[in-house]
Amino acid sequence: MSGYKDLAQRDSCFRPGSTLCPGCMEATAFQNIGRASDNGKKTVFTIGTSCAEVSTLAFPDVVAWGRGDAPPDTWGKSFSILHNVFESAPTLAESVRDVADVLAEHGALTHPVQVLATSGDGGALSIGLRALLHTIHRGSRVTIVVLVNEIFANTGFQYSPATTPFAETSTTPVGPNVQGNPRPPLDYIHLAIAAGAAMVAQVSPSHGKLFVRTMERSLACEEGTAIVFVPAPCISGWKFDDGQAIHLGEMGAQTGVYPAFVWERGKGGSVKDCDLDPAQRPPLENFLGLQRRFHHLVMRKPEGSGFTARPGREDDLVQFKAWTQKNVERLYKLAEMT
Amino acid sequence: MKTASEALEAPQAHRTTAAGEIYDRAIDLAPVRAAHSAQYTAREEIVADGNTAAAIATLQMWRAVVFPGFPITPSTKWIETVASRIAGDPKSKKRVKLLEAEHAVADYLVGAAAACRDLIFSTATSSVGLDHMTETTRSLGASGLGNVMIVDVYRATANFPLCIEGDPSDTLAHRDDGFIQVCARGKQQIYDTMLQMPCLGMHPEVLTPTMPGYYGIKDSHKSGKLMVEPDHDVNAFQDEWIGPCPLPGLLNGDTAFGNCVTSRHFQGFKWSQKQRLERVLDLLPAIGADFEKRFGRPGLAYFDEVGWAVDSPGEGSAEWQGGERRRVDIAVVGMGPDFGTFEFLREPYEKSSGLRVAGVAMRLLTPFPRAALRERLSDAKVVLVVNQAHHYGRGHLTLDVVDALSDLDQPPIVVSAFAGLGGANVSEETWERMLDHAKLALDGHRVASSALFHEGEAL
Repeated sequence: MSGYKDLAQRDSCFRPGSTLCPGCMEATAFQNIGRASDNGKKTVFTIGTSCAEVSTLAFPDVVAWGRGDAPPDTWGKSFSILHNVFESAPTLAESVRDVADVLAEHGALTHPVQVLATSGDGGALSIGLRALLHTIHRGSRVTIVVLVNEIFANTGFQYSPATTPFAETSTTPVGPNVQGNPRPPLDYIHLAIAAGAAMVAQVSPSHGKLFVRTMERSLACEEGTAIVFVPAPCISGWKFDDGQAIHLGEMGAQTGVYPAFVWERGKGGSVKDCDLDPAQRPPLENFLGLQRRFHHLVMRKPEGSGFTARPGREDDLVQFKAWTQKNVERLYKLAEMT
Repeated sequence: MKTASEALEAPQAHRTTAAGEIYDRAIDLAPVRAAHSAQYTAREEIVADGNTAAAIATLQMWRAVVFPGFPITPSTKWIETVASRIAGDPKSKKRVKLLEAEHAVADYLVGAAAACRDLIFSTATSSVGLDHMTETTRSLGASGLGNVMIVDVYRATANFPLCIEGDPSDTLAHRDDGFIQVCARGKQQIYDTMLQMPCLGMHPEVLTPTMPGYYGIKDSHKSGKLMVEPDHDVNAFQDEWIGPCPLPGLLNGDTAFGNCVTSRHFQGFKWSQKQRLERVLDLLPAIGADFEKRFGRPGLAYFDEVGWAVDSPGEGSAEWQGGERRRVDIAVVGMGPDFGTFEFLREPYEKSSGLRVAGVAMRLLTPFPRAALRERLSDAKVVLVVNQAHHYGRGHLTLDVVDALSDLDQPPIVVSAFAGLGGANVSEETWERMLDHAKLALDGHRVASSALFHEGEAL
């Protein structure tokens, strides 16, 4: 596994010039994945329609992908990317993997190839759940990265199956009759394990070393599909202040909303930086209070630091905390599975 | 041979193209070609149905090594045949890839074809299966991936009511997907068409995916004699037309596919797509002629013809009367195997009616061979277009035929008919009834803008 110094010296395949929102966690994730994948293997990314696509593959003005300022002289450093419709990224990656394998089996391709699929949670868990689960089920040796910003950010911050309870989105607005998203999110980590993934993780660049290490492990995974869910605080959709993305990534994990989790088939896994005991975790209100999508639930404490439930919303916050605790307990149980 | 790490560290020659860099030595397809396990080593007459004929043709291509599929009636036997032949051949390194839905198959085709643009990736589907692919077939049509071939086994497209028999409403609903669409009829034409399609789609000036098709049940499920060619000759023919793709793939290139563009650049992409498709009109006859020269059977053509001018027409023939050549009274435009029934009764109808009757069975559907059809039909007084797919107006074919004739100073009268919907047989009685209907227009009567015929009756 690489140290930061080594990593910093690598060529990221994510280049300057994307039009992602300033402060977007996806850009940070791509920058690190881009460096982690500079490992001498030929790299192919596939990408479903998402923020990540429309903001990085805009022809001819911004194509924010590729290694180096000019096409590399060594094929192993070369990089290709393929975009197709929202749900397609896992299947695209699987097909590239298959072709590379068939060519290798014939002796027509002698160099190693790594294939990585990228989707948003809308593309992977809503319209693309079928594609995601079946690629995993077929054991394709690809790495799938799902950038989970809990909304369809690309189309204007609508509800997705990964939306946190009570979150306000443009299709679960807050009003007298509705208090944001009424449903708990899809248990996508459990689904990925049940579908047969060889490695399942949930980690954001807020946990820098763990993120890079996890990406390197996923790219080296030979036993089947490795899938990494990357919590991706969305500055425009979650409505938080500039410069808070890394902090929110960390707080969301520590409060139990999206705990860092790494699991490998046959080895089990662990929950990182999130205590099973809720009393040992930072107050959930302090995570929610930084985001305007939860301002109907919490407010700044009148006496100063921290956040508290808005009058009349105490029961909702109790419910939210109960879901969070279930979420953490569930991940601890999944970690025990081998 | 270098080790993987040595190879990775070694600089490799690369060259710049309009779509990125190509590393010419990254992939060497010679071992793939050498590993091809032949289906046939000599010309042989076998008995096969249409799906089997199509599957055998695809299996004979050395460039086809991975076959993604998902079953749907009436195309299912294509993937079953491919699977069983691969399973039964210990020397074969080809693979069947079973996906979870047609949409996944289409996505798989995108990734596979983009990964290596010098291999051929093919599947078969039908009806709502093709519809399910639509989101991605639209991408494919514009992708430049001429190494994709989707075999469409025609079947009516609807589930209210569901009908599993073959009418071409599926393929005709996909005219704007951007594929080269060719209709085949009869086992032999199906087989021959499959062999020629990649030559067209992968031509460097075309680079457009292909969608050969044939009627479900009528052609897909009925067996007959089929002449199969040895794999060696099949591949020699394809090698003549298919060279290394001039643009990079994902594996041998440093490139990006499927960019996001503004409307300003969208125009350029679409213009280029259309230009490439138009080149088909020039190349198709040349490929067809080469096929005929090599194999002694008619190759690809815009349409099949019956009853038009012959080299030495005898006095007394329908074409000549009193030493003068007669114009065609009724020209039929149709497609598919039911056209054979018309061919069978054309001469008797000419004798009984005293009219001169000719016809064309469309083969190239997209791009529509507008100029060639106009030239062929310009001599006719009335054109009877037989549509076999539901359409909100006068029929898909009718619209194209009317458009093709619109440049003529005095275009023939176009009479539009629907028959054989849902794959129903178009009987001799129905053909006669439709020809009588066209005759009314010939005699100066007004006829309905379109009419539906079935079992000898106008409904």
